[in-house]
Amino acid sequence: MRTLRAAALLTRKDLVSLRRAPLVVILLACYPLLIAGLVGLVAGYANARPRVAVVDLDHIRHTTKIAGHTYNIKGAIDEVAKNVRISWMSKAEAEQALRTGKVVGVITIPPGFLTDLKSIIRSPTLEFETARGGISPRVTQQMQALVYNLNRKLQESYLKDAIRYISLIRHGGRASFLGSDYDVLGIDKARALLLKEKRNPSAAEVTRFLDTAEAALRASQISARAVAQPIKLAIETNKGRSWLFSAQMQAYALALTISILGLALAAAVTASERDENVACLLGRGLVSKLSLLGAKVALATIISLMVGTGILLAFGAIVEIGGITGGQPWGRVPLVLVGVTLFGAALGAIGTLIGALAREGRSATLGALLVALPIVLLGLVPREIVPPAGVVSDFFPFSHGERFFGSALYDLHPWATVAPEALWLLGLLAFWGAVARFVLPRLTEG
Amino acid sequence: MSSVAEVLLSARSVSRRYGRLAALAPLDLELRSGESVALVGPNGAGKSTLLSLLAGSLRASEGRISVTGAAKVGWLPQRPAHYGRLSARENLVLFARLENVGDPERRAAELLERFSLPGDRPSAQLSVGNRQRLSLAIALLGDPNVLLLDEPTASLDPKQRALMWQETERHVSEGGAVLFSSQNPEEVERHATRVIALDSGKLAFSGGPGEYAVWEREP
Repeated sequence: MRTLRAAALLTRKDLVSLRRAPLVVILLACYPLLIAGLVGLVAGYANARPRVAVVDLDHIRHTTKIAGHTYNIKGAIDEVAKNVRISWMSKAEAEQALRTGKVVGVITIPPGFLTDLKSIIRSPTLEFETARGGISPRVTQQMQALVYNLNRKLQESYLKDAIRYISLIRHGGRASFLGSDYDVLGIDKARALLLKEKRNPSAAEVTRFLDTAEAALRASQISARAVAQPIKLAIETNKGRSWLFSAQMQAYALALTISILGLALAAAVTASERDENVACLLGRGLVSKLSLLGAKVALATIISLMVGTGILLAFGAIVEIGGITGGQPWGRVPLVLVGVTLFGAALGAIGTLIGALAREGRSATLGALLVALPIVLLGLVPREIVPPAGVVSDFFPFSHGERFFGSALYDLHPWATVAPEALWLLGLLAFWGAVARFVLPRLTEG
Repeated sequence: MSSVAEVLLSARSVSRRYGRLAALAPLDLELRSGESVALVGPNGAGKSTLLSLLAGSLRASEGRISVTGAAKVGWLPQRPAHYGRLSARENLVLFARLENVGDPERRAAELLERFSLPGDRPSAQLSVGNRQRLSLAIALLGDPNVLLLDEPTASLDPKQRALMWQETERHVSEGGAVLFSSQNPEEVERHATRVIALDSGKLAFSGGPGEYAVWEREP
């Protein structure tokens, strides 16, 4: 009871002190929001087109003739490379650009590429080099998509020709080959001519053959048309929210803002006990270490709740006023605030630890920021890509808070995510609280 | 007087080490009712360490410190200790509540009046002298029998010093005990009934102010 009372008195004192330093509170709340916005922008541009160099060692002209038809290979590459920015370069330029990171990959059109393409005997090969790590797997996927699109474009063109030739054989007409024009009789007209030779048994045999050929060609034409138009993906935009108002962005904004604010505030107010030379008075039995820890954790929790509520209300107001798809899930706000409470408390414990270790307030705030940024960035790294980052991140509240908020806000069935994340946050509060309690004598004993 | 006066606080073989560095070698000390003991010595002699140990702010590496019966200890650290964003009144009320003083508001008002402190300005805006007096008022909140003062007048002007000594004399005359550290020989001579000198963390002298004056003049 005495522990609780002392913790409550100290928390109240910290709140009064903060109220009298509004600039500090505004700065502490705005800075993380700014960071959250910037992270949102960076994350939003994660899908931006990476730059890829193309080296043409086969000296492909802009237009080239394949099977009597004119193709614009360079234009086709530019056209199908929708998800990357293509830069045509010399081999030396491309190698330098890849080494220095100006481009994330180099496609080389090797000598003989066009000959292989025209021969239709051997598959022509495009060579692709990429840098190590980072977004390389994504760029490789983009390149596979580029080759697929290029193949589809060529295939479409070949098939159109094939369909045209089949049509010419079936129905006859005027054709051109190697620069000379000529008339094709066609099966239809051939059959009509043979009808005039009814008495000739050979004519009847030829007519039967023509019927079979016509049926086979008709079937081939239908198949060729179907292959020429493979499955397409119909993309409709404006059905969901923009990135800025997405569930993920809201969860990031909450987690990031509270992480920086909670850590910095708890660390600063803990260290301020030493700065004001009061820690030594408190440490002589006036206040137990548990009360001191409880006071700082409570302060971080209260401020987290205030800022968290503010962010949720601000997002909600913008979503409602802007009539954004889906609206704000107001019914889920209490569940999010439960998460904010656990999240703020766990951060408060880490902040208290930093404040107890720091020599004074300024180094505590700096220390908190130095700790907060890697925690946040680790939490943003997808664990599927860098598994160790996920393991390290598990020992800090950010990723758990972010998953809790995202799920609590928008999952149809949030409990499967929210319950384990809440347990994680409780566990982290207990763990970091125990470490902070162990270190607090450093603060009170000067 | 010392033979009959009650022992309020005692330290037995109390010492403090920071790693390998001995900040205070094992030391015995008793503070009796009505005593005003001066703690002297050069910088780094261990005066503040001893006062922090007696105040309970620092844990002793060895030895035992005991406070007799219901005796209470008040401590004025070397640097003023209070919350700068709170007013003098708010500081006093907060510490009174933490010390479980009955009627904290009334006790705070009494001490504000006794020390002529402005009650409602943030204490960070008070003069150095007033801040030191606020720290002394905080030390006196729980009505302590033993007052530990770490260089209480170091940053005060003569008028403020006189007020500070007036308070400590009043405390001693009411049956309390004072242990104060000082670098000022005049203050030691005028206000101490006993002197303890420390040097490099070890007890160098213990005796009356007259004996101390002689000891100090010895080569």
